[in-house]
Amino acid sequence: MELNVTNICKSFDNGGVPKTVLRDVTFRVHEGQFVTLLGPSGCGKTTLLTIIAGFQKASSGEVRINGALVSKPGPDRGFVFQDFALFPWMTVRENILFPLKQQRMDRKEQNERLGTLLAMAQLEGAEHLFPSQISGGMKQRTAFVRALAGNPQVLLMDEPLGAIDQQMRQTLQEELESLWSKNRTTVLMVTHDVEEAIYLSDRVLVMSSQEGRLLGGVRIDLARPRKRDDERYHLFKSQLTDMLKSAFKQAVSSKGE
Amino acid sequence: MEENGCKIYTPLGPEFAQMKLSQGLQKLENPAFKLITLGAVIGIWQLASIYYNNTLLLPPPLKTAKALFLAVQDLSTIKNLLLTLRRLLMGLGIALFIGLTLGFVMGYSRTLLKLIDPVVSCVRQVPMMAWVPLTIVWFGLGDGPTHFLIAMVGVFPILLNTVAGVQSVPKSYYHAAQSMGAGPFSLFSRVTLPASLPNIMTGVRIALGAGWMSVICAEFIATSAGFGFLMVRAQTMMETPLLIGLMMLGGVVGYSMDLLIRRIERRITRWRFVE
Repeated sequence: MELNVTNICKSFDNGGVPKTVLRDVTFRVHEGQFVTLLGPSGCGKTTLLTIIAGFQKASSGEVRINGALVSKPGPDRGFVFQDFALFPWMTVRENILFPLKQQRMDRKEQNERLGTLLAMAQLEGAEHLFPSQISGGMKQRTAFVRALAGNPQVLLMDEPLGAIDQQMRQTLQEELESLWSKNRTTVLMVTHDVEEAIYLSDRVLVMSSQEGRLLGGVRIDLARPRKRDDERYHLFKSQLTDMLKSAFKQAVSSKGE
Repeated sequence: MEENGCKIYTPLGPEFAQMKLSQGLQKLENPAFKLITLGAVIGIWQLASIYYNNTLLLPPPLKTAKALFLAVQDLSTIKNLLLTLRRLLMGLGIALFIGLTLGFVMGYSRTLLKLIDPVVSCVRQVPMMAWVPLTIVWFGLGDGPTHFLIAMVGVFPILLNTVAGVQSVPKSYYHAAQSMGAGPFSLFSRVTLPASLPNIMTGVRIALGAGWMSVICAEFIATSAGFGFLMVRAQTMMETPLLIGLMMLGGVVGYSMDLLIRRIERRITRWRFVE
C-alpha cells in the first residue's frame, strides 16, 4: 500500500473572492505507518482528509492509492468521523456488519469477522445495544472497528477523539493505540492536539493555517506504547508546539498586512 | 424556512400543534385523573339532559349508552364501520404511495422540489370539503369520492414529512456508507429510508387521523353506505341517542387506530425508544 498525495490545491469561491484553503500539498504515506496531519483549526486539514476520502474534489492535484487515481469514496479507504457517524437505527453489531454485507461476504465469514472485531474492541455484550445506549468511548471503538471491518488499505481518521472530554482523551488514546497495534493498518489521522499526535504517530506532518501549506514533517521514533513522562517525548512536544506556534504567527502576520 | 432561495419543509403548522396536544395528554397517565374528568362530564351531561328534558335535543347518558350497546350488536353497524375502515385503508394506501414517491424524489432533488413545490403549496390550501362536489362529478356516489378525499388529506402530511425527513439526513451518514462500499440502492434502503422513517411515521399518523375525520364527512354527502351514512340516517330518523352513541364509537375507533399506529411506530423505529 502506498498513498500518494500530489500538489493538492483547493480554493472556495467566497462571495466572488477565491479563498485558498490548501496550496500544493504533497506527501506520501507508506504501508503500516501511522501518520498525523497536525495543524491549527481552520488550516484545511479536514478538507484535505475528505479530499483523500473522495467526499469532495480538489481544485487541482491528485490522490493515488497504489498508483490508482482516487475520485470518489470507496471501501479501500476507511473513514472514522469526528462525530463517529454511527447509524443510530442499527445496533453495534449491525453497524459493524454493514461493510461486510456491502462486500457480500458469506454469512459464516461475516460472523467470524464480527467476533474478532468485537473482541478486539472489547465490545462483547454490547453488540445488541444501539449507539444512543453506549458511552463515548464505546462509540469511538465501534466507529474504529466498523471502519476497519472491510479491511481498507488505509484508515482516515478525522479528529477521532475531538468529541471526547479532556480527562477521557488520554485513556482513549491509549485504547486506540493498543487497538491499532493489534492490526497495524496504515492510518492517516487529523488532529490539532500535539500530545495526541506524538502519542499515536510514526510521523507528524505540520500544516500552516496560511493557505493550508505543509510546513514539514517530524518522525517520532519512540518505542510503543509510549511513555508520556519520557524525556524525548517532551522534546518532541516542545518541538511540535514551536512549529505550531510559528505556523500560527505566520497566519496572523499575513492577515495583518 | 428559506435557505438558498429554496424551501425547506418542516413539519410545523396546525398538524404539529395537534401532535403536541396529544403528547401532552399522554403524560397524564394517572387513571384517577381520567376517571374524575370522565365522571364530571357524564354528571354535567346527566344534569343538562334533566334540565332540557328533551331526548331529541340531548338524551341522557344511560339512554345513549343503551343505543350504542344495541348498535354495536347490530351486524349492519359493524358492516358499515368495516366498509368505512376499508375505504380509509385504501385511501391511505394511495396517499402513502404518492406521498412517499414524491417525498423521496423532492427530498433528493432540489430542482424537482422547486418544480413541484408550487403545485403542492397551492393544492394544499384548498379546503378539503370543497373537493366533494367535484369528486361526485368525477366518480359518482360511492367509494370513489371517499378514496379520493382520504388520499387527498393524507398525501400532504406524508409528503411534507418525508421531504423533511430526507433533507434532515446528515451528509456524514452517506459518506460513511459510501466509504464502506455502499452503492446507490444500499444508500437508499439502508440509509435514507431508515433515517427518515421517524418523520414518515409522524406523517402517517397525522394522515390517519385526518383521513378518519374526513372520510366520515365525505360519507355524509357522497355515499349511501358507511359509518358517516349511519350517522346521517340516525339524524334523519331523529334517533339522537343513536347519533351520539355513534359519535362516541367514532371517537373510540379513532383513538384505537392512533394507539395501533403508535405501537407500529415503536416497533419499526425501535432505536428511538430505548432508554
